[in-house]
Amino acid sequence: MAVIARSRPAAVSDRRRPTPDIILFVAMVALSAVGVLMVYSASRTRLEALGMDPTGEMVDQAIFAAAGLVLFFVASFIDYREWRNIAPFLYIATVLALGAVFLFAPGSARAQRWIPIGSYQIQPAEFAKMTMIMVLATVLVPAKEEGMSWRRLVQTIVVVAIPAVLIYMEPDLGTMLVFAFFTLVMLFVGGTTLRQLTVLMTAAGAGILAIWKLELLLPYQIERLQSIFNPSAADPLGAAYNRIQSEIAIGSGGIFGKGLFLGTQTNLDFVPAQTTDFIFTAVGEQLGFVGGALVLLAYAVIMWRLVVIAVNARDRYGVLVVTGIAAMFAFHVYINIGMTVGIAPVTGLPLPFMSAGGSTFVTMAIALGIANSVWLRRSPVPGETYIV
Amino acid sequence: MKLSWRLTWMVLVFVAMFGVLFTRLWFVQVAAGETYDRQADNQNVSIIRTLAPRGNIIDRDGIPLATSTLEPWIAVDRKQIPLEDEERVIQQLSGLLELAAVEVSAAFEDAGSGARFLLAAVDTKAEFYVLEHQDELPGVGIEEVPVRRYPQSDVMAHVLGHIGRPSPGDLEENPNLDPNSTVGKSGVERYYDESLQGTPGFVANQVNAAGKVLKPLDERATRAGATLQLTTDIDAQRVLEDALQEGVDLANQVKWATGEYTNLAERSAGVVMDVTDGSILAMGSYPDFDPGLFVSGLTQREFDVLLERKVFSNLAIQALYPPASTFKAITYTAAVEKRLFPDGTLSADDLIECSARLNAPFTDASQLVWRNWTWPNDDGYQDLHTAFERSCNIYFWQIALRIWNDFKGTELENVIQDWARAVGMGERTGIDLPYEAQGIVPDRELFAEWGDEQPWRVRPEGWLGGDLMQTAVGQGAVLSTPLQLATAYATLANGGTFWQPRIVQRSFDTDGQLINEYEPVAVRDIGIAPATVQALLGDMRRVVTAGTAASAFSDMGADAYRVGGKTGTAQMGQECEGVGEERVCKDRDNTAWFAGVTPIDNPRYVVVVVVEEGGSGGRVAAPVARHIMQYLLGLEPTAISDPKVEGD
Repeated sequence: MAVIARSRPAAVSDRRRPTPDIILFVAMVALSAVGVLMVYSASRTRLEALGMDPTGEMVDQAIFAAAGLVLFFVASFIDYREWRNIAPFLYIATVLALGAVFLFAPGSARAQRWIPIGSYQIQPAEFAKMTMIMVLATVLVPAKEEGMSWRRLVQTIVVVAIPAVLIYMEPDLGTMLVFAFFTLVMLFVGGTTLRQLTVLMTAAGAGILAIWKLELLLPYQIERLQSIFNPSAADPLGAAYNRIQSEIAIGSGGIFGKGLFLGTQTNLDFVPAQTTDFIFTAVGEQLGFVGGALVLLAYAVIMWRLVVIAVNARDRYGVLVVTGIAAMFAFHVYINIGMTVGIAPVTGLPLPFMSAGGSTFVTMAIALGIANSVWLRRSPVPGETYIV
Repeated sequence: MKLSWRLTWMVLVFVAMFGVLFTRLWFVQVAAGETYDRQADNQNVSIIRTLAPRGNIIDRDGIPLATSTLEPWIAVDRKQIPLEDEERVIQQLSGLLELAAVEVSAAFEDAGSGARFLLAAVDTKAEFYVLEHQDELPGVGIEEVPVRRYPQSDVMAHVLGHIGRPSPGDLEENPNLDPNSTVGKSGVERYYDESLQGTPGFVANQVNAAGKVLKPLDERATRAGATLQLTTDIDAQRVLEDALQEGVDLANQVKWATGEYTNLAERSAGVVMDVTDGSILAMGSYPDFDPGLFVSGLTQREFDVLLERKVFSNLAIQALYPPASTFKAITYTAAVEKRLFPDGTLSADDLIECSARLNAPFTDASQLVWRNWTWPNDDGYQDLHTAFERSCNIYFWQIALRIWNDFKGTELENVIQDWARAVGMGERTGIDLPYEAQGIVPDRELFAEWGDEQPWRVRPEGWLGGDLMQTAVGQGAVLSTPLQLATAYATLANGGTFWQPRIVQRSFDTDGQLINEYEPVAVRDIGIAPATVQALLGDMRRVVTAGTAASAFSDMGADAYRVGGKTGTAQMGQECEGVGEERVCKDRDNTAWFAGVTPIDNPRYVVVVVVEEGGSGGRVAAPVARHIMQYLLGLEPTAISDPKVEGD
């Protein structure tokens, strides 16, 4: 923890000329660059086979990345405390957008997650992660630092439950789990007692059991969750296929990998969704353990910076927002990479800054931009005290 | 500003999450990387194997006995069949092959998902249908598959053996074996499986997940297995096999005529071997089977019926019977070579009385009264030569008594048995066929061993004089395969060289180039005095011209003087089933033997015939052997008919 605490003198000395968190930014740009490259390596053979421009998917991703970087700065310039003022509007907009996907549902399609805008599709659930973090922080700020009232706890749960249920109905189990995770972390940091936490966890456990027993999960969701516990017993071409294939691809990469563009598994279509959910298999197979560990290190650096920002935030709202961002980020990285190496269920959570897709990239960039905004405004106004 | 305990815990959770990811990544890529690497190779490389045709088997004149032909089969590659089309493809194949859909479906299941397998043989019409409807039948193709054919059907079936899918044991022993291939299960097919197998070919392609070929990686052409040339002669084999079947018919005909029998005869076996080098000219076992049945597939029921009849056993090398009086040639030569004649005689020409019965002077538990086969009549005074011709047990028992009295308890008491082993009894001959039986030549040591390990087989007193007397006439515990008896007679007839019997003489590659010449192997030479050999051969001639087989050989007229042999009528003891009070025992009829040599003045072939529970050797086995020897001499074989005279 020394590395986190030691940043205090700098926080004070930077008071007059605040500089953005360069390390955070560099780590994000590096990941984006590797991501664009990986999307290219994993999509070019398939696109070529289809007679399309092999760089097509890569160019799209590069555009998203560029847009994301711009939005990072935009979010940095906006005083994060402004969000607190418009929290009710953010919340309403989020719920409406989540409801709207059902209007654009193409008939009997299984998943209804997108709102079409031009030739692109927006996933409101991605943006909802960020807006809900801001809304939750707003709700939790007035809570007592130690020992939250039961009333506030219930209030928080109700606030998060409405969009969570909408997302569940899409259905998007992964995003719902993200909501659950950052809510839990924010409640903990926000001051719940251990007893409240215990009650909450018990209730959650009972809820999961109820969902299981009442068969509210779709069969494919159950299969995917089950496949993590016993992949080989399941039909290797069925539910466990994705998991096994990605594990094989990553494992076959070895220490140094097969070399860029030389990944047989990713290039030969064995790994499904290889540019989106399973982009990390392209890293693991082509760049090996060394490449994978470096990517993991870059994510760890981002986590480290987020914690430093949370510790140095000037107010309780800042602490809660950055805590939520850190939780969301950590959960995405853990579940996504964990799924590709066989220790997490296949729930379809993208890998921040690497998985092909605009909505996620933009959401994550804005999230880090907001964290950076907290960092830029960490120095207290005279007379104001830190509230942590 | 402080790092609160709450944030500290949150950080710890994050650290733990990243720690788990890092550790797992290390495990998957570094610790277990190789395993995954192999799996990856298995997936993106598709290897299509082509089975190698098994090598041909030909007789000594090049006549094909087993061949391989290429025939069209339906090959199914499940990887290439879209899942949603599979059911329809199965239905279509079921109609095309006139097979129940469940059977086709079961074949798919057995092969496993994503597997490539051979479904069934097809006729030309179905072959064209498949080739013309490729778009309707994705993943279904035609492959030319080598199929074993036996042009002579059941002739020489036991020698050739049969083939089948590799058993789990075979696959464990040889991991390179293709489960779709065939391996030899018996006979030459099994013994020489490695030579016959050939090398399967393959085409390795890099494929994508949909099974589409991206680029060829490697290929190897198939190489057919070696062609094996046997020492056997198809014509001699036919004569032998027909004669063996007729021998069984003759035995049953005699049984009906005399009314003296418990069981009908069902089985017979015979061997014709070259005494100069151990080559097998013919080897037969009745009943037989068509090895082609195993190619098209037998139902379990069909197989069980055949198994019940013991048709798969090559009785010539697998069946054990007491050699009975045929063993007297061994006792005879041992007596002459070691100069051990009955008490009161000094040479083979001295006479003793061949009485109806012998009272043995034993004080141990041995049998005291021994009846000659002529009982209740006696058979006059005989020397060794006449005793052999007339198969007089008394004379040979007296030889055993002489040995027992003089050498009991010393190494010399085994003089007969040691001689028997030297000429090939009691141990496997080493013929190049699988599953050969060992046979038994008993002595004091063996009985002691049995007394310890299998006490129900022997009397508690152990080895006694009576046991030696039994051994001297090939009864008691002595057991021999027809082939062992043939090697014994060959060794006696050629002056003492034990040639290891052999069935394969050469192997060739597909271009007809010689690969291997299997030289005859002389295992040992015990050097029998020429005078002894001449005496034995002369007495064997007396057996067929004046002795126990004279009636059976009367058809040959003066040509009977060109051959010789010895009859044997083995007492079989009881056949018992079950244990304890449920144990039921049944008498068995005598087993008929004949061991012959032809031509007798310059031995070339030994002929051994056995008819299991066939009755008298002189009446049943001798006519069969005579028929075969007529053929071997280039004479017109006369019918195998009842000579109406019993002969031991």
